[in-house]
Amino acid sequence: MSISDWQKHWKARRGRFIEECRQAHERLLADLKNPGAAQERVLDDIIGVSAASLHWKERGYDTLAKDATSFRSALPIMRYDDFAEVIERETRTKGGTLTCSPVLRWLKTSGTTGTPKRVPYTLHWLLTYRIPAMMAMWGTYLEHHPELLAHPYATLDTQTVREDVSDFVHGVEHQAVSNRHPQINTRDWNPPWYEAPWFGPDTPTSHEGRMYHRIRHLLGRNLHYISSINPSTLISLRDLIAVHGKSLVRDLREGTVEGEPWGEPDPAAADRLEAVLADPAFSLKDVWPSLTLYSCWLSASAGLYQSKLDAVFPGVAKLPFMSCGTEGVTTIPVDDTAHSQPLAISQAFFEFVPASVPLGELVERGEAVPTLLFDEVEAGEDYHLVMSQGNGLYRLWTGDIYHVDRVEGGVPWIHFLRRDGVFHSFTGEKITEAQVTQAIEQGVAGLGLDMGLYMCGPQWGEPPHYVALVESHGSDRGIDAALSGRIDEELKTINIEYASKRDSGRLGAIEVVTVPHDAINAYVESRRLAGNATQYKYKPFQQDIAFVADIVGD
Amino acid sequence: MLELKRPPQNTRKEIVHVRRDGADLALHLWRPKNLKGAIFYFHGLQSHAGWLWEVGPQYANNDIALFVLDRRGSGISDGERNDIPDVDTVLGDYAAALAAVRGIIGDEVPLQLFGHCLGGSFLAALMQHRDFDIPYDSAVFCSTWLGKLHATLSEEQREALAKETGTQLWDAALKSTDFTDSVKYQHYIDNDDLAVRQLTKRSRATLLGLEKLYMEPERELPPVPMGYVSGLTDPIVDLDDAHKTFIEMTRGRGGIIKFPTNQHYLYYTDVRTSLVNWSSTYTLIPGLDHHG
Repeated sequence: MSISDWQKHWKARRGRFIEECRQAHERLLADLKNPGAAQERVLDDIIGVSAASLHWKERGYDTLAKDATSFRSALPIMRYDDFAEVIERETRTKGGTLTCSPVLRWLKTSGTTGTPKRVPYTLHWLLTYRIPAMMAMWGTYLEHHPELLAHPYATLDTQTVREDVSDFVHGVEHQAVSNRHPQINTRDWNPPWYEAPWFGPDTPTSHEGRMYHRIRHLLGRNLHYISSINPSTLISLRDLIAVHGKSLVRDLREGTVEGEPWGEPDPAAADRLEAVLADPAFSLKDVWPSLTLYSCWLSASAGLYQSKLDAVFPGVAKLPFMSCGTEGVTTIPVDDTAHSQPLAISQAFFEFVPASVPLGELVERGEAVPTLLFDEVEAGEDYHLVMSQGNGLYRLWTGDIYHVDRVEGGVPWIHFLRRDGVFHSFTGEKITEAQVTQAIEQGVAGLGLDMGLYMCGPQWGEPPHYVALVESHGSDRGIDAALSGRIDEELKTINIEYASKRDSGRLGAIEVVTVPHDAINAYVESRRLAGNATQYKYKPFQQDIAFVADIVGD
Repeated sequence: MLELKRPPQNTRKEIVHVRRDGADLALHLWRPKNLKGAIFYFHGLQSHAGWLWEVGPQYANNDIALFVLDRRGSGISDGERNDIPDVDTVLGDYAAALAAVRGIIGDEVPLQLFGHCLGGSFLAALMQHRDFDIPYDSAVFCSTWLGKLHATLSEEQREALAKETGTQLWDAALKSTDFTDSVKYQHYIDNDDLAVRQLTKRSRATLLGLEKLYMEPERELPPVPMGYVSGLTDPIVDLDDAHKTFIEMTRGRGGIIKFPTNQHYLYYTDVRTSLVNWSSTYTLIPGLDHHG
C-alpha cells in the first residue's frame, strides 16, 4: 500500500474510531456504576447463546441453568482440557456444538501438554465482548492522551499485528489473538493505522525484522505514543535501535527501507539519529523527543521492568494494558492508575475462590467448590479467578490469581498477582513466586540497592537450596553474601515452612548473586530472538538453574 | 427489503436434531436477527454443513436463514457412512427436515431450495415426488449434473444398476483441485474426516432411482422461479447436458446463470460473495405469491 493510500484510510477512519472507542468506554463506565446488572446481563447472554447448543442439551444444562445460583450448581468448574472433546467436535461443526454462534477463528495459545489450545473465536464473542473491550481500553487512552491520533505517525502500536495465517483447523484459521488478520467483518479490529506499512501483513514476521520496519517508518516523525503488551517489547525496541543504528541512519538518509526505496530521503532525521546514537545510554525520548505516552503491562513480574522503563522513557507518561489472556479479558483500564484496574464487569461472568483453597486439587477430584461473586470479595485478599465467557468456555479455572486492591462503587479493583501453584518445593516448603519476589525486594531494599529483573531456580544438593540472580547497578560480588543472608531471613519470615526446613538443615540458604544492570534482560532477549517472539515471556521462576551459567558464566 | 448500510449481524448457528426412524439427523441453521427469507441447502456427495461456515453468516447478513441437513450417513448425522438408503427413506428425511424448517420460519417466509452438485439431484427428485407437499418459493440447481446416470449409462447398464444390492465401495474419484484453486480449501477437503468419498454400489442404485423421478416425471412442478447456476465451465459436470435436462424439467421457463470461474465448488472460489448475493436476492424477490 502506498504512503497516500494508508494515510487516506487513517484519515477516513480516525473520527469514527475515536467515536467508537468513546462509546465503548462510556458503556464500560456505565456498567461499572451498575455492576450487578452488568453481571446479570452477561450471564443471561452466556446462557442465551449456549442453552440450545448440542453440549448444553446433552448435559441438561439448558434446563438447569437459569440464574447465577443454578448456573453455578449445575455446571462444574472446568479446565481447558475438560473442554477438549467438545472443542474437537466444534472444529467440525464450527458453531452449534459448544455455543450457538459461528466459530470464525480458533485462537492459538500454549497449552499444558505442549499441544496449542484452540480457543473458539465466535462471531458473538467478537461483536459483544472482544472488540468492545479493545475499544473501551483505547477510549481510556484517547481520553487521557488525545494526541495519539494527532496525525498518522503519532502512534506506534505493537499490541496487535497482521500476519498471514498458515495454520488451519478444518479450514478455519488458527492464530494468536494478537494477530488481527484477516479482518473478519466491518466490526473487527480496525484502528486508523490498520493499513500502515509497519502494521500490515507485508511487514517481516520475525521479531527483529518487524521491529526494524516499525522503527524505520516512525523515525523522523513526531511520534507521541508507543503501545505494547509486554514491557520487554519496549526495552527491545530501544536495544534494536542501538543494534541497527547504522542501517537506520542509512535508510533515513537514502529514503529506503532495508535498501528498498521508500519515501523521500530525510538527511536531517538521519543526522539527528546519528547524534542520538553517539550516546550509548540514549533513551527513546532522545530518539523521539515528541513522546508523551507508553503503555504495557505494569503489574506482577512485568512490574520488575519499571526501572528499565523509567530509563528508556524519562518523563514520559504511562498507562497500563488490560489484564487479559487468549481466553478472555479480566480488567480494563478506565483511568491512569498504573497498577490496578476495575474488574471488566461486562466482559465475563466472574467467580472467585480464595487463593488459600487448593482449587486445582479439588477440580481434579471433581469436587464442587463454592465460589464468590464479584460483590463478595474483600480488599486485601487474593483469589483464584473462574470466568465464563461468551465464547462458550464456561466456569473456566484460569489458573490466575488476582489481588483485590480495593472495592470502589461495588466493583473490585484488582491486579494480576501470579499463576496458581507453588514455584517449587524441595521438601514441603511450597514456596510461591510472590514470596520469593517479596523476599528479594525487601532484601535488596534493606541494603539500599536498586534492582531490575531477577531469575530464581532450584539447585539440588546436600542440602538443596535456591539460587537467584538479581540485576542491580550496585552489582558486586562483595555484597552477595550479605544480600543472600538478608533475603534468606526475609523468606523465613514470609514462609514458616521454609524457616522450619532451614532450621532443621533440610534446606540450604538461598544463594543470591547480583549481576550487572541489563544482564538478565540481555539473556531474555537472546532467548526471545532465538524463539517465537510473540509467545516468549520473561519468567522469573525457572525449574532449574541453567540460566546461571548462561548469565554469570560460572 | 435489505438495509444496505448496517453492521454485521450477530448471526446464530444452531444444530437441531430431526429424529427419523431412530436416527438423529443434524439440521444446521444459520439464523439472522431479522429473518426475511430462507434457503434450504442440499449438499453433494462428500460435503456436509461444516463446509459452509463462511457462507452461512454471509447469507444471514442478507437476512437469509441458511438450513443444511447433514444427509443420513453424512456430516454429524447418524446413519451408515458411505451408504445412501432407499429413495423413500432419503426423500422422507428431506421432507421431514423441510417440515421442521417451515415450523421454524413459518409459512409466510419465502423459502428457496438450493441443491449443490449431487444435492441438486436429490432436490429435483424431491420436487417431483408425489408425496412432497412442503411449500417453497424458488429452486436453484448449482453445478449439478442433472440426469447424469441417464446421460452416461446405456439402458442396459441402468437396468443392471437398478438391481444392484452390493455393499462394495465405489470410489467417486473426486479431486479437491477440481473443486477449488485455493490451497486452503483444498487442504480442508483433503483432510476432512467427515467427508464421504466412496459409496456402496447399492447407493448408486438409489441415485438412479432418484434420477428416474425427475427424468420420467409424474407431475408438473409449481410455477415458482427456478435457476441453474455454475461456473463458466465445470471440471466434473457436463454443463450442456445438465442445462438440457434443466430446461426440459422446467418446461423452458427457468433461468441459467454463469459465474466467472472454472471450478466446481463455487463457494470456495472468488465468486462466493456474488453467488450468495444473487441467491439471496433470488430468495427474496419472488415474494409471497409463488408458493409451490
